[in-house]
Amino acid sequence: MAEDKFTAIIVGAGPAGSTAAYMLAREGIDVLLIERGETPGSKNMFGGRMYSYVLHRIIPEFWEEAPLERQVSREVITMLDGEKSASISCQNENWAKPPYHSFTLLRAEFDAWLAAQAEDAGAMLACGIRVDDVIMEGNRIIGIRAGEDEILADVVIAADGANSIISEKAGLRSKLSPADLATGVKQVIELPAKTIEERFNLQPGTGVAHLYAGTCTRGMPGGGFLYTNKSSISLGLVIKASELQKNQHLLVDLVEDFKSQPSIAPLISGGEVVEYSAHLVPEGGISMAPRLFSDGILVTGDAAGFCINLGYMVRGMDLAIASGEAAARSVMEAVKKDDFSANSLGIYKDLLAKNGVWPVMETYHRAPQLLDTRRLYSNYPALLNNLLVEMFTIDGTPPVNLMDKLKQQVKNSNTSFINLIGDAWKGGRSL
Amino acid sequence: MFKISLNIIACFKWVVDHEDIKVNPETNELVLDRAGYRISDYDRFAIEEAVALSEQYGGSTTAVTVGFPAAKKSLKDALARGPEKAIFINDPAFANLEPSQTAAILAQSINNQEFDLIICGEGSGDLYAQQVGPRLAEHLNIPCASFVRKITIEGRELIAERRVDEGIEIISMPLPALVTVLPEINSPRVPGLKDTLAASKKPVVEITGSDLEETVPCLETVEIKATTMERNCEKFDANEDDLKRFVEVLLRAGVID
Amino acid sequence: MAGVWVFAENYEHGLELLQIGRSLADKTGVELTAFACGDKEVGQQYIYYGAHQVFILPPLAEDQPLETYVPAIAEVARQEDPDIFLFAATLRGKEIAARVAARLNTGLCSECIELDIKDNKLEMKRVLYGGAALQTIICKTRPQMATIPVHTFTSVTDLDNTRQGIIKEFDPISSTPVKVRDRQPRAQESGDITRSRVLVCVGRGVEKEEDLKLARELAEILGGDLACTRPIAEELHWMPQETYIGLSGQTVKPELYIGLGISGQIQHTTGIRDSRIICTINKDEDAPIFKISDYGIVGDLYKVVPFLSQELARLKKK
Ligand SMILES: Cc1cc2nc3c(=O)[nH]c(=O)nc-3n(C[C@H](O)[C@H](O)[C@H](O)COP(=O)(O)OP(=O)(O)OC[C@H]3O[C@@H](n4cnc5c(N)ncnc54)[C@H](O)[C@@H]3O)c2cc1C
Ligand SMILES: Cc1cc2nc3c(=O)[nH]c(=O)nc-3n(C[C@H](O)[C@H](O)[C@H](O)COP(=O)(O)OP(=O)(O)OC[C@H]3O[C@@H](n4cnc5c(N)ncnc54)[C@H](O)[C@@H]3O)c2cc1C
Ligand SMILES: Nc1ncnc2c1ncn2[C@@H]1O[C@H](COP(=O)(O)O)[C@@H](O)[C@H]1O
Repeated sequence: MAEDKFTAIIVGAGPAGSTAAYMLAREGIDVLLIERGETPGSKNMFGGRMYSYVLHRIIPEFWEEAPLERQVSREVITMLDGEKSASISCQNENWAKPPYHSFTLLRAEFDAWLAAQAEDAGAMLACGIRVDDVIMEGNRIIGIRAGEDEILADVVIAADGANSIISEKAGLRSKLSPADLATGVKQVIELPAKTIEERFNLQPGTGVAHLYAGTCTRGMPGGGFLYTNKSSISLGLVIKASELQKNQHLLVDLVEDFKSQPSIAPLISGGEVVEYSAHLVPEGGISMAPRLFSDGILVTGDAAGFCINLGYMVRGMDLAIASGEAAARSVMEAVKKDDFSANSLGIYKDLLAKNGVWPVMETYHRAPQLLDTRRLYSNYPALLNNLLVEMFTIDGTPPVNLMDKLKQQVKNSNTSFINLIGDAWKGGRSL
Repeated sequence: MFKISLNIIACFKWVVDHEDIKVNPETNELVLDRAGYRISDYDRFAIEEAVALSEQYGGSTTAVTVGFPAAKKSLKDALARGPEKAIFINDPAFANLEPSQTAAILAQSINNQEFDLIICGEGSGDLYAQQVGPRLAEHLNIPCASFVRKITIEGRELIAERRVDEGIEIISMPLPALVTVLPEINSPRVPGLKDTLAASKKPVVEITGSDLEETVPCLETVEIKATTMERNCEKFDANEDDLKRFVEVLLRAGVID
Repeated sequence: MAGVWVFAENYEHGLELLQIGRSLADKTGVELTAFACGDKEVGQQYIYYGAHQVFILPPLAEDQPLETYVPAIAEVARQEDPDIFLFAATLRGKEIAARVAARLNTGLCSECIELDIKDNKLEMKRVLYGGAALQTIICKTRPQMATIPVHTFTSVTDLDNTRQGIIKEFDPISSTPVKVRDRQPRAQESGDITRSRVLVCVGRGVEKEEDLKLARELAEILGGDLACTRPIAEELHWMPQETYIGLSGQTVKPELYIGLGISGQIQHTTGIRDSRIICTINKDEDAPIFKISDYGIVGDLYKVVPFLSQELARLKKK
């Protein structure tokens, strides 16, 4: 039987779990961090960029120590339409100065580093262990079960990612449906640092975040991304899981398609694919969020649905870290009161509101509906590209003024001005 | 079965995970700076055998490694596999030892320990020199059997089934002794959560380079280059036409008649 | 007598070492010495094949293992101080070499696959990291020692029955506390895959032991032998130990290697490096084995192999 007991058991050594473990251990609270991968990060992937502000708050100037790739100094959004593409690019050198705005990174190294910070602070880290279930006493969670072993705790923090079995077993949410999820695929392609800097016009150390909408998803809701690392490129697609199922497209084919786009192929040519992975993205927004706490349990990060998917961009690392921070602070309060009931842990909600996670989730709460607006993935990229291509093409045919061109293109793109204005309104409110 | 009580030492090495080894295509040099490390695969069998024997006959097991500071990470993993304690012989200078040095360092560190049996892997995952075990036996002046696939203890005698080129040789030798074991000897257990938790409470004795006499390498590395294997790399599908074409290619290459 | 020394537990491997030993001795202008284990006749042959000097180790008592020779070999090497000392890398040869090297406080290059003299020093190459890298080393202490995998070099052919050499016999050797209780020869004579012209090699992609017959059939039609990856021999025990290829198994050099259901881990492929043509069948088109194959078939071996066997059998009849 269970003779070991901890104040807190954290399931999952991703950014949410390791942050919570780090903060609790730093306070001298005995915490066990359990990760199913052989090492933290070995099973994790993401697009490629983390916003810095939250981690800087917890570990000031973490960039001095953490394994990071490049500071992002340029953002580009590209609308793809077959052989045509149109981009908006924005560069800000201040983004590449301390406190850096965002970094590209590779999860295997970053997650291992963050977990090591927790371990060094005194957390007990157990890797290669999969938690199978929670132990309940009445409605209260009193520990976890991994294989034959049972370990007790005052509080369990579910930080086990998008497909959280802990929150499911704890009865905080029902099984996820494909409608609440997107599937992400990603490849890491190796290229010499110098080649990357030349092709993307970068300084050593600085990088670019490149997002794509349009034909790369064959009209399915989602988008593509490309991030520059030190000597590799992370690229991939995020596509609504239910659509992928319905259309029976093979992810491999879609990625190969994406890579062969004329505006992408030259950027990666000669590179070797060294990694290929797929992962789920929660995308139901706050409507799919589970109950965030109950007696003896808190839910953080992707497990709580704290992830924003805008189709062309996924953002979850900073929210995972911030929610891990809020969870840790809630546990600290609970320790003081020696009360781990739902009532006591409820402070979590307030802390999330204060530290920015909840406001962000609310601001973007309409994003899921916007994402379902199919025109975003085919009609509009086509419209924009046709408009620009016509504008730039001089072939001796009589000129048409811009408004007439737009009207013509809107007509060609099987949409209407009403739709266009409606979607723009939706977009403005959701983003 | 009556208890004999054996003090067993299992030697393991913390080695670079070969799947993480990258090659710089311009220089053909290896890029190891981002590689992960793990307990050498073969040494898991050594640890398991030590633990299994001490469970069977009574006694205790000590896991020993010579390494550089980062190898500290290996101790929890090793101890989760069952040994009661670990000895970490640690020095930044121990990153790239050659077998003669490793054996000498192990010998110095083990010399004042009480032991009945030392178990090594057949070879380390990185160097795979298959030297440290037999060299260590010579330093300690104890009998040795290598490539062992089965061990039994009869009183103060160890009976080993070892592989030789013609088949199997069954030998007996008095304890204390050293064996190197083959993977077929056992199937290492997978540590559970409790094993991992217990591991962090087990004692670790640390010995540093300054506690030992200095060793000088006999071998000097001139260079290390990635191996390349340039091949045709032509792919065929599994349809009839492709397979017939495949057979034709073999015919033309003159490798079948 | 200094010079180049060679030790092999059996005659055949001794001839291979004489070949490489001879060339090293000639390059440095020194003499060549060989050990013969308990057999004067073998010693005499070694001289006919070019050894200048032969040490005849005394026959061992029935219950003594080959390693009993270690102190005597180390002692004579200490007295005569050879420049180079090579051992055949049989299982026992590897242990003996390591223990002799420890006694002589010298370096040993394990499983050396290439040797040359550069600036009067022996330059040796061996694989590292399971086969991912090739290391070049020199030995700064004396003697410069190496173990040589069997069949790395061809045997000497230059037999001259009139050659004269020095034959030295050892005093009887005191026995060690290690006793051989029993010897069990290999259960089945599995043939020597290192000499096969065609090899069909099976991996974990083969699901059941009885499915080996698919591979065996293909091997028979091609006039070749069956080999396997380590898990097939070590974990599943479907095939004898001597038939697995790779770093810790055999190194093979067939004209044709056909791999069935093999992923292509470096520890395996390092053993097929010198094959003339490498063909593989794997259903996973991203399997690493395709990167080192001349001709790769992406497909299910259960469909592909019967078809190939049939097609080849049909051609054969013609
Ligand atoms: C394709 C893709 C692109 C993305 N791009 C970005 C981006 O560019 N920027 C950004 O900020 N975010 C991005 N995200 C989102 C981001 O990856 C997640 O929001 C973030 O990783 C969530 O962190 P987490 O700690 O909650 O969960 P995770 O990172 O998923 O970590 C969960 C951990 O729990 C472990 N675990 C799971 N179950 C168990 C169990 N039963 N027992 C023990 N351990 C368990 C897992 O192994 C894992 O280590 C992307 C996601 C995807 C899929
Ligand atoms: C230090 C060390 C030394 C080692 N030494 C050796 C050695 O000497 N020799 C050796 O072989 N290994 C050795 N190994 C083990 C080696 O790392 C691999 O584990 C082993 O070679 C894998 O064997 P495999 O390819 O048969 O199996 P797997 O890696 O399991 O590959 C099976 C393959 O079969 C394919 N497949 C499955 N079903 C089918 C089907 N129906 N049709 C077609 N294809 C199919 C799969 O796609 C897969 O690629 C060593 C390991 C270590 C650590
Ligand atoms: N650094 C080390 N620390 C402890 N044991 C080692 C070390 N290196 C090698 N060994 C042991 O010696 C065996 C043979 O190693 P090697 O001679 O390097 O092939 C290994 O399987 C280990 O059991």
